[in-house]
Amino acid sequence: MNFDYLFDHWREVLDLTWEHIELCALAIGLALIFAIPLGILISAVPRLRFTTIAILGAIYTIPSLAFLAFLIPVPTLGLGRESAVVVLAAYAQLALVRNMQTGLTGVDPTVIEAARGTGMTPIQSLMHVRLPLALPVLIAGLRIATVSTISLATVTAWISAGGLGTLLFEGITFNRPSMILAGTVAITALALSADLLLRLAERLTPASRALHSAQS
Amino acid sequence: MSDRPDQPNEPPIAIHYDRVTKIYPNGNQSAVSDLSLDVIKGDLVVLLGPSGCGKTTLLKMTNRLIEPTTGSISIDGVEIHSLPAPELRRRIGYVIQQTGLFPHMRVEDNIAVVPKLLKWDRQRIHDRVDELLDLVGLPPAGYRRRYPAQLSGGEQQRVGLARALAVSPDTMLMDEPFGALDAITRSHLQMELRRIHQTLGQTIIFVTHDIDEAVRLADQIVIMREGRIVQSGDPLEIVTNPADAFVSELVGASDALRRLSLIESGTVATPLAAGIAPPAESIPASTDVRTAFGTMLGAGLRAIGLTDANGDLIGTIDLDTVREIARTHPVEVST
Amino acid sequence: MNPTRRTMLKGAALTPLALALSRIEVGAQDKIRVGSKDFPESIIIGEIYAQLLENAGLAVERKLNLGGTVVAQEALLSGDLDLYPEYTGTGLLVVLGASLADVPGLGGTPAAGTAVASPAAGDPSTAVYDYVKAQYKEQYDLVWLDQSPMNDSQALAVTQEFAQENNLTTISDLVALASSVDLVFSAPVDFEERDDGLKGLHATYGDFPAEVNGVAPGIKYQALVDGDANVVLAFSTDAQIGINNLVVLEDDKHLWPPYHVAPVVRQAALDANPGIADALNAVAQLITTDAQIELNGQAIGDDPKDPADIAKGFLQEQGLIPA
Repeated sequence: MNFDYLFDHWREVLDLTWEHIELCALAIGLALIFAIPLGILISAVPRLRFTTIAILGAIYTIPSLAFLAFLIPVPTLGLGRESAVVVLAAYAQLALVRNMQTGLTGVDPTVIEAARGTGMTPIQSLMHVRLPLALPVLIAGLRIATVSTISLATVTAWISAGGLGTLLFEGITFNRPSMILAGTVAITALALSADLLLRLAERLTPASRALHSAQS
Repeated sequence: MSDRPDQPNEPPIAIHYDRVTKIYPNGNQSAVSDLSLDVIKGDLVVLLGPSGCGKTTLLKMTNRLIEPTTGSISIDGVEIHSLPAPELRRRIGYVIQQTGLFPHMRVEDNIAVVPKLLKWDRQRIHDRVDELLDLVGLPPAGYRRRYPAQLSGGEQQRVGLARALAVSPDTMLMDEPFGALDAITRSHLQMELRRIHQTLGQTIIFVTHDIDEAVRLADQIVIMREGRIVQSGDPLEIVTNPADAFVSELVGASDALRRLSLIESGTVATPLAAGIAPPAESIPASTDVRTAFGTMLGAGLRAIGLTDANGDLIGTIDLDTVREIARTHPVEVST
Repeated sequence: MNPTRRTMLKGAALTPLALALSRIEVGAQDKIRVGSKDFPESIIIGEIYAQLLENAGLAVERKLNLGGTVVAQEALLSGDLDLYPEYTGTGLLVVLGASLADVPGLGGTPAAGTAVASPAAGDPSTAVYDYVKAQYKEQYDLVWLDQSPMNDSQALAVTQEFAQENNLTTISDLVALASSVDLVFSAPVDFEERDDGLKGLHATYGDFPAEVNGVAPGIKYQALVDGDANVVLAFSTDAQIGINNLVVLEDDKHLWPPYHVAPVVRQAALDANPGIADALNAVAQLITTDAQIELNGQAIGDDPKDPADIAKGFLQEQGLIPA
């Protein structure tokens, strides 16, 4: 095992890393568009909770290659990045929606009653009180989803979606440890950076700052 | 059930409860049962009773946090269902036991919640927050930027009070606001509330199960049991003339010291007589007899002087008088 | 092809992939999209096809190293891919879901011990090709161009020592051994489920206990050499068979059909670019089993070559593209 590939081809590794970031960012962005309303819905309607989480859990267990192959015939998706984004967004739903629901239902009921009592409409209560208070939990969900998306995104190289998986699979196919190592290092670095960045974001939410302010 | 006390000169009614009943969907009996009550404008009315008596339900029906099953409630002659619930609630100050402060907002933002909902301009909100913090005894410079978690329980409740007062509501609902505080902090806040109420003159409905608190704060006490009003009246009347054994036990009518605390010293003063040396110590005539008694015991005196608002001696109170009041139902003594 | 990029990546095994990744999405329809599956041989042949098309003046976009038969086939059907190298046996069993018994002239299981028919008219190679070609056209509107002589059949291989120790020459010998020795297969991850994998072995040779060590195709021989497995699912063109001096067991009950490689092309792509057929048929006869073993060997070892360079060297040697 050596780092030759990483040193000799750092430009390509960098290009693929950027592609990987784009792929994951698109996937997480798409995932949030669905997860936020869904999380709000199931926190408001408890009887939808079990079924929704069960369905998302089932989606999570679909083998990735089967899922990717399944989407190739879908018009506008096909081979490449579009299908990959959809699959990754689908996998991310479980962590995002579950944390969204946990965060929103975990808000102290007296605070929610105070919001009603001061004359906030349900929407105002959601926007000004419940979402901000749930934010640390939501960002924790985002962090879990992002880190797992970064590692899952490698398999989308199977459908020519680009990213660091290309390097990894190429290395595995031709049995080139140095290439596998380069891909692994880049993916790990990416995942750790995302984790760190989102942990920081988690701490910077007003709710977390307020909590930590008590100790300072 | 006793009706509201007869008022000869028809004082204005702020809140009118008309045959209000609340039955919870899964409850087999009503939490509030065919209850009617008039609250006089500017009064601080204490709803008193054991847990489950319906006092909190009645309070929360007032700002529609709970909807009555039947009956109607009007505030200043306007039925509360004639406007949207959020709009109604913005006009009514609301304070709850666990403060209900928004933990992610600084003190200033907590207080500014309703003004912001009403879209006040920034400067007006800023000034109002300063004013309110001063009113509740928290210096704005030191407190504006703090988070609730950085405040003591008493400070949090002061902020809660400031928030409820933000848009100068005519009506305030307070649900055991001081219930979680220690005795000293609680008594401080009770005094603050008393002072603020006297200054601003809102109509306040205040829920508690603490008889001392009720006696200290109330213009009128409404005693509830199983969703009905058992007795209502001013504190002295309640304590001295409990309607039945339930009320008697609830308010501890047999407690002599409590009775003393309900009577102003000035009302039982012995006029100054010539030839009697003025006492070594004196207190304001508005002080209650219990406090006067304490002062005598503390100073080792048999009698102390009473002064009027100008500080002039107007009479004395002595141990014999105190003993007399404590022993009997002082029906002849009326405030 | 983008020459700047080409230079930049010279010597990198990544070349085909990097090119496939070139963000030229607009006008992608004008390019012939060449795919391959995710093992070296498929990638090398994909490169050979791609370079031949480029030599014929056609624009090519590479989508090599796709995640297997299903992905490649779905991509052809959805129009995301124009062609890729496929094996006749895989087309028959995996894509069409048929078996040798369905192929006209091969109906019924050949009698045990019958040698594979000689490569003459009516032999299995031609019969399977003709059947697959006709079925693909009919069912999918996909065209099989000329097949190559190279037969990359699946096979079971064991080490020389293991074969001698247990006196193994046929798969039947191996199956008989299963009752006394724990068999551990080193094979691609889909081996256990494929009809021409373990399921097929059980159907043809009868049930026998076997453990499967699913690995990436590139490292399946490593497990055998390291002793983590005692049987490897080999392909007859794997260079590692020779390198590791392995013994290929005879498929004495004829589970596996012939696996000749050929380009599978969308009819629409052929209609738009009729030159495709001539360009690719020119190489068909030159890809023999021996030639392929040699090409595959270049991709492994201590100084592995880039598949693009392997393909280029081969085509230059054969005089199909200018040196």
